[in-house]
Amino acid sequence: MRTKEEYHREKPTWCVGCGLYGIFDALKRAAASLDQSPERMVMVTGIGCHGRMNNYFRSYGFHGLHGRVMPVAQGIKLANPGLSVIGVSGDGDAYSIGLGHFIHALRRNISLTYLVANNQIYALTDGQTSPTSQMGFVSVSTPFGSKELPLDGAKLAMATGGTFIARGFSGNAGHLASLIEKGLTHPGFALIDILSPCVTHNKVNTYDWYRENTFVLDDDPAYNPRDKKLAYNMICDAKKIPVGLIYREEGRPPYETAVLPDPGRPLAADDLSLDTEKLGKIVLKFR
Amino acid sequence: MIQDINIVIAGVAGDGVLFTGNVLAKVLKRRGWEVATSRDFPSNIRGESTSYEVRGVLGDCAGRGDVIDILLAFDCQAISRHIGHIAKGGIVLCDGEEADLLSSAQREGKTFHRLLLRKMARENFGKDIYKNVIALGSLSYILDLEPEILKKVIEETFLETKGREIVEANFRAASLGFKKAQEILTPEECHALGRDDDQGRLLLSGDEAIALGALAAGCRFFAAYPICPASEIWEMLVKYIGNFNGIVVQTEDELAALNMALGASYAGARAMTSTSGPGASLMMEAFSLAGMAEIPVVVAHVQRLGPATGIPTKTQQSDLTQWIFGSHGDFPRIVVSPGTVEECFDFTVEAFNLAEKYQCPVIVLTEEEMGQNLRSSRPPDLSGIKIDRGKLVPEEKVIEIRDFKRYEFTPDGISPRSRPGMRNGLHLVEGNEHDEHGYRSEDPENRIRMMNKRMSKLKNSGAYLIPSRVWGEEKSRLGLICCGSTLGTILEVMRRLDRKGTPAKLLQLRTLWPFPAGEVRAFLESCEDVFIVENNFSGQLRLLIRSQVEPECRLHSVLNYSTQTFKPQEILESMEKAL
Repeated sequence: MRTKEEYHREKPTWCVGCGLYGIFDALKRAAASLDQSPERMVMVTGIGCHGRMNNYFRSYGFHGLHGRVMPVAQGIKLANPGLSVIGVSGDGDAYSIGLGHFIHALRRNISLTYLVANNQIYALTDGQTSPTSQMGFVSVSTPFGSKELPLDGAKLAMATGGTFIARGFSGNAGHLASLIEKGLTHPGFALIDILSPCVTHNKVNTYDWYRENTFVLDDDPAYNPRDKKLAYNMICDAKKIPVGLIYREEGRPPYETAVLPDPGRPLAADDLSLDTEKLGKIVLKFR
Repeated sequence: MIQDINIVIAGVAGDGVLFTGNVLAKVLKRRGWEVATSRDFPSNIRGESTSYEVRGVLGDCAGRGDVIDILLAFDCQAISRHIGHIAKGGIVLCDGEEADLLSSAQREGKTFHRLLLRKMARENFGKDIYKNVIALGSLSYILDLEPEILKKVIEETFLETKGREIVEANFRAASLGFKKAQEILTPEECHALGRDDDQGRLLLSGDEAIALGALAAGCRFFAAYPICPASEIWEMLVKYIGNFNGIVVQTEDELAALNMALGASYAGARAMTSTSGPGASLMMEAFSLAGMAEIPVVVAHVQRLGPATGIPTKTQQSDLTQWIFGSHGDFPRIVVSPGTVEECFDFTVEAFNLAEKYQCPVIVLTEEEMGQNLRSSRPPDLSGIKIDRGKLVPEEKVIEIRDFKRYEFTPDGISPRSRPGMRNGLHLVEGNEHDEHGYRSEDPENRIRMMNKRMSKLKNSGAYLIPSRVWGEEKSRLGLICCGSTLGTILEVMRRLDRKGTPAKLLQLRTLWPFPAGEVRAFLESCEDVFIVENNFSGQLRLLIRSQVEPECRLHSVLNYSTQTFKPQEILESMEKAL
């Protein structure tokens, strides 16, 4: 069995108390508990404080452009479905500049685990309002309060065909690790929206605020995440923010198994020598 | 015997003009003719006027002709649009009554015939759609094409998809058209064509050739967003790539298309996307990432008329500078420009090799004229295909490396590449400035070294890049320069100049970037006057040349930013005016 240290490349330099520490720790625990080889894992990150995770987490990594985590991660997964591909984004990366990619990845139900570190603010760029900031949120970009409704990634995921929708909290790394573990083994797209306080810029949505405004779904024995109606109601009507596995649907084949000619023969490792006879037959159609 | 003919099929969108033209082109090709088609289509499905030119030459064929020998109009309105271009002795066949629309001056020297195609179709087959094959039957009489060839092409077109019954009905339609033409045309009016052996030549478009090239090169991953006039690459690939263990993904936009291709390429698959105009603008962001992160990728860009949405179905060469100088930051890129359908195939294969050799994006830059029109061409040499994966290190070698550095400083600037999943090859691919392992670094010294490393990769690439080609009379002091699909028309211009006793030579630029400065300098030095022929307003090719070399000869621009491609006569006239 691997220990979580095997996934630790470097000590992070996030602000002391940053929610990203909890996510980093939970991910290492989940990987260790599944005994995943770091060399079979690829972490794809976007732009934001979360993007540094690629420097700290030991695996293959791809740190690309702001908002483009999903297309890159899908390209990797399709080229080599044997890899465990983890996308990490912030709320701006996933739900603002990358929103189009996010909902289309959900539609495809491609087997990725997507961790969205949601701190309800743009932290790396010094504290602007984000798409998940609450209405009225005061920040350097909205000094008179945000006039826009916040966007809920979990709700969007429900509406666009998500098959694994969970919400975690950085303040409870053990619980988060169990959600990530489930996500990593889910055949299909797994969204884990993670409430992740920014201790430097967001003085409203603090650890205490989240503790007061959330509740853990798993504590409710009557809640069944496989019940779609129940999940819808939970996402839309809950008085507080539900944390835990909100919805899970099994049986819908993941995109990669539906589109790849032979999932056991990854495109990435294919022998490229040309079958001249096969191509020759196609060329003949143009005679 | 006629050796050169230009036939135009005209109508409104939805008339089957494209089908009719494609079949005619194929029949001509099978008769041993060199064929070039030219579509003039609106960006619309139904109702607007369209035309399709089929140029055939028994000998070298370049592209469009200057005049129309036969006009077949499904819609009489179409005649007035083309009448000015119809040659003396030309034939106009019209499904209806054209008399009222034309003046006697317009009619002079031409023969007009009513060919009631729709009526015949309806009466004999109960459906308008048969009018297209009836028309083809009539044309095969006029051109003295063997009906057997037409029948064979009909069979190939319909048997698999529509069945034997439909094939037989279409045979009858072809005979009907043939007989009808026999009835109404005098033998003197016919344009009996010479014949030759087609020697197994192909008839395909630039887009199709690019798709075939991608298959030959081992492309395993293709992601794109639908766009005119590049979608044919995709439509062709999606049909066949599965047989080669590859896939096509329809992405939500072009941002995703290029990023997804980069993900697949990083994972180890040969990956590609295709696009045009606005799609290319969206790709600029990931283009820069490919340069910075040193990820091989091929982008086929089929240029269309811009700016903005422009006219999506018309050709243009106005996106040269976008790929050569575009996007944020300095990074290496290769831009190749095929001048023929054969080159579309060959350069696409080469693009994949260059992308992996230099670990950078490679753009195959073509135009609508090349992409969507058919040309007869030599079949590709499949046994000669070579795959060069550059410094992609096999796993057994990666294992032996003590400290794998994805961005290692090396004498040629090119670093070893491992695939995720390989043991011992862990690294980060990074869009931020990074160190040799790929981890983010803001160290000033490292920044300079990394920048120099990336930019040095193409420094000595000259010998591996596709060289320019010089055509025509070497000793001439009269030069032309072009890139891409204008080649055919310019070669025709040169043949005409030859006949006039003023031979010229042509420099066909086939790699636009890295700029082939040595070749261009030598060419310019050997000329007194050089005409740079290009399909855009601002003379982008000229701008490029002038930014890289200092010409001492006289430079002239022959520009065309209209909706129509160059005709040989237009180029000749603007040259004569300038000299």
